[in-house]
Amino acid sequence: MKVSFPYMDTPVLYYKLLDLLGHDIIIPPRPTQHTINLGVKYAPEFACFPLKVLMGTYLEVQEMGADTIVTSGGHGPCRAGYYGKLHQKILDNAGLDVDIIVFDAPKDWRPFLRNLKKIKLNNSWFRVLGVIRTAYALAHSMDRIEKLIHKNRAHALEPRKVSDAWEEIQQKYMEIEDRKDIAGVEKWARKRLAGLEYNFPTPDKRIKIGIIGEIYVVMEGSTNNDIEEMLNELGCEVERSHYISEYIDSHLVPWKWKDYQHILDKADDYLEIMIGGHAKRSIGHIVDYKERGFDGVIHLKPFGCLPELVSQSLLDRVSDDLDIPILSLSIDEQMAKANMLTRVEAFLDLIKQKKEEEIA
Amino acid sequence: MKIGIPRSLLFFYYYPFWEELFQELRIEVLISDKNNERIMNKGVKYSISEICVPMKVYVGQVLDLVEQGADLVYVPRIVNIRKGVTLCPKFLGLPDMIKYSLEGMENKVLTHKIEQKSDDISDWKDYQIFLEVFDVSKKELKSALNKASQKWQEYRAMHRKGFASDQLLEDIKRTPDTGDLTIGVLGYVYNVYDKFVNMDLLGKLREMNVNIVTFEMIDDEEIQQEVDQFAPRKKMFWEFSNKLLGAGYHFLKSDEIDGVIHVTAFGCGPDSILGPFLDIDSDKYNTPFMTLRIDEQTGESHLLTRVEAFVDLLRLQKTKEARKCEK
Repeated sequence: MKVSFPYMDTPVLYYKLLDLLGHDIIIPPRPTQHTINLGVKYAPEFACFPLKVLMGTYLEVQEMGADTIVTSGGHGPCRAGYYGKLHQKILDNAGLDVDIIVFDAPKDWRPFLRNLKKIKLNNSWFRVLGVIRTAYALAHSMDRIEKLIHKNRAHALEPRKVSDAWEEIQQKYMEIEDRKDIAGVEKWARKRLAGLEYNFPTPDKRIKIGIIGEIYVVMEGSTNNDIEEMLNELGCEVERSHYISEYIDSHLVPWKWKDYQHILDKADDYLEIMIGGHAKRSIGHIVDYKERGFDGVIHLKPFGCLPELVSQSLLDRVSDDLDIPILSLSIDEQMAKANMLTRVEAFLDLIKQKKEEEIA
Repeated sequence: MKIGIPRSLLFFYYYPFWEELFQELRIEVLISDKNNERIMNKGVKYSISEICVPMKVYVGQVLDLVEQGADLVYVPRIVNIRKGVTLCPKFLGLPDMIKYSLEGMENKVLTHKIEQKSDDISDWKDYQIFLEVFDVSKKELKSALNKASQKWQEYRAMHRKGFASDQLLEDIKRTPDTGDLTIGVLGYVYNVYDKFVNMDLLGKLREMNVNIVTFEMIDDEEIQQEVDQFAPRKKMFWEFSNKLLGAGYHFLKSDEIDGVIHVTAFGCGPDSILGPFLDIDSDKYNTPFMTLRIDEQTGESHLLTRVEAFVDLLRLQKTKEARKCEK
C-alpha cells in the first residue's frame, strides 16, 4: 500500500502521522499550474476550486504510484464534506485504481474506527494513540512558529530569508521521531528566526491585516498567490482565521470546542445559525479582529463557494457597522498574481490613508 | 397588515400551504409578480454577482414586494425537513442575507426557523412567532396549520397523478399527456418553474409534444430507495439534491423515460456535485442525459436549439429501436 494525502499549507503533519505508523508514503508535490490544469480537466466545471486542486493533486500522486489517499471529510452542508465520494467516482470513471479513505469528524465512531483500522497496520492501538498525540503536538508547535513568521516577516529587512528559514524549519519538523523531539525543533526554529535582521516599528505604526474565508484557499499558498508573503513583503502583519491546530481543536476535540465558541458568538448579530463551512466563523473573526485593533480584513473564497457567498453578502454591512475596510477576493483557476497584487496594493493604500487620517 | 410572499425558491413547492395558512389566519397576502425583466434587473443589481440566479430573483422579488406596499415579507429560514439533512447553505442564511445586504430591509422581514421531521412543515412549534406578530391564539394557529397541511397534501397528491406544479398553480389546461416522448425534467422547483429564467422550457417541450415528468411526481418511497442505494451511509447534505438524485436514478433506470434534462443554475453548488454522478451513470443505463445551464441572460435561441436537438435525437433513437423490434 502506497499512501498519499492532500496538500494544504504544509505536508509535514499528514506525513509525520503516516510515517510514524510506518507507511510507505508518496509526498504530494505543492500544487502548481500543472496540478490545477489536471484538476480542471477532470473535475466538474462548477465544482468549487479546492475540489479541482485536490483532484489535480490526487491525479499527480496516482501517477507517482500512490494507491491510497487519506483525507478528511465533513458533515455539510458545505460541499467539502462530499469531495471524497465525488473524487472516487471520477477516479473510478477514469479507470484509475485509487482508494480514498475519508475521515469524517468522529460524530459516528464506527466508520471512524473502521477507517483507522485500514491505516493502522501492525501498530498496537496504544502506539496509534501515541502517534496521534505526537501529530497533535506537532500541529500546535508548527502553528506557533508560523504565526510568529506571519507577524515578524513584515518587519524583516529581507523577507525572502524568513521564507527560506521556514522551509528549513519544516524540513527539521519532518525529521522528528517522537513527541519529545518537537520542543527541541521549536527552540531551534525560534533561534533561527531570531538570527535574522528585523526593523520593528513602534506598535502604533504597524499595519495588521486579518485573512478570513474558506479554509483551503486561506491556508494553501499556491492557490492564493502566497498572499501572506505578499502582505508581509508589503510591510503588513498578517493573521489568518485558519491554522491547522485551531481547526483540529475546534472541530475534532470536543472538549476544546468551547475555547472557540466566543468567535462564533461574535457573529450572532449577522448570522443567526451555523450555515456550514466557516461562514459564521469568518464573520466572527472580522468582529474579533476589529476588537483587537486590526486595520483591515481580506476575505478569500473559492468562486461559487456556498457558505462564503452568504458571508460575502454580509460584508458590506459588517464593514460599515464596524468601520473596518474589507477586501473580498474570489479565487479560481484564473487568479493571476498581478491582478491580485494590484488589488491588494490599492487596498493597503486605502488602509494607510485611513490610518493617517485617524492619527491626524 | 399585508404579508408579501416572493414567487420564487420554494414558493413552487409550498405555496398552497402558505396560501391556506395565511387565509385561515385572515392575513392579507401579496404575491410578487411572475418573474420578469424588471424584477430580474433589480435582483441582479442588488445581489452579489457570483450568487446563483434563483437567489437574485428572490432578492428582486423581495424588493418589488416592498415597493408594492407589503408591510412584511415572509422569508422563512428552512433549515431541515428531514432529520440530519439540511437545505443549501444559501437557504440557511437567506433571512440574514435579505436583512443585512439590502438597505432598509432589517425590520421588514418576517422570518422563523423551520426545522421539521418531514416535508409536511405543519408542526406548530416552529410557528410560535405568529402568535405575537399576528395576535392569534394557539388554537387558531394550530387549526390553520392543520388545514394548510391538508391543502398541501392534496397538492402533492395531484403531483403524483402526473401534473406538474405549474399546471396546478396556474391556469394551464390540465390535459392527460399524449406525447410520443417522455422526458424527465430534473431540477429544483425554482429553476424548472421560473418561466422567465428558463425561457419557458416546459412550455416548449409540451409544444414539441413531449410528456414531462418531474421529481414531485415520483413517490417519496421510490426516491428514498434510490438514495439509500446510492449512499447507504453518507448521503448528500442537501434535501432537494437528494430528492433530485433519487428521482434522477429513477429516471435513468425507468423504461418509460426516454431522456433526462438536468436544469441547473449557473454556479449552483449542490448541482455541481449531483450532476457528475448522474452524468457518469447515464452511460451505464443507456439513457441520454443533458445538462441545461440557466442564468440571468435573456437570449433564448441557444436554449431552444439545444432542446430541439435533444428531442430530435431521442425521437430518432426511438424510431430506430422500434424498427429493430419489427425485424
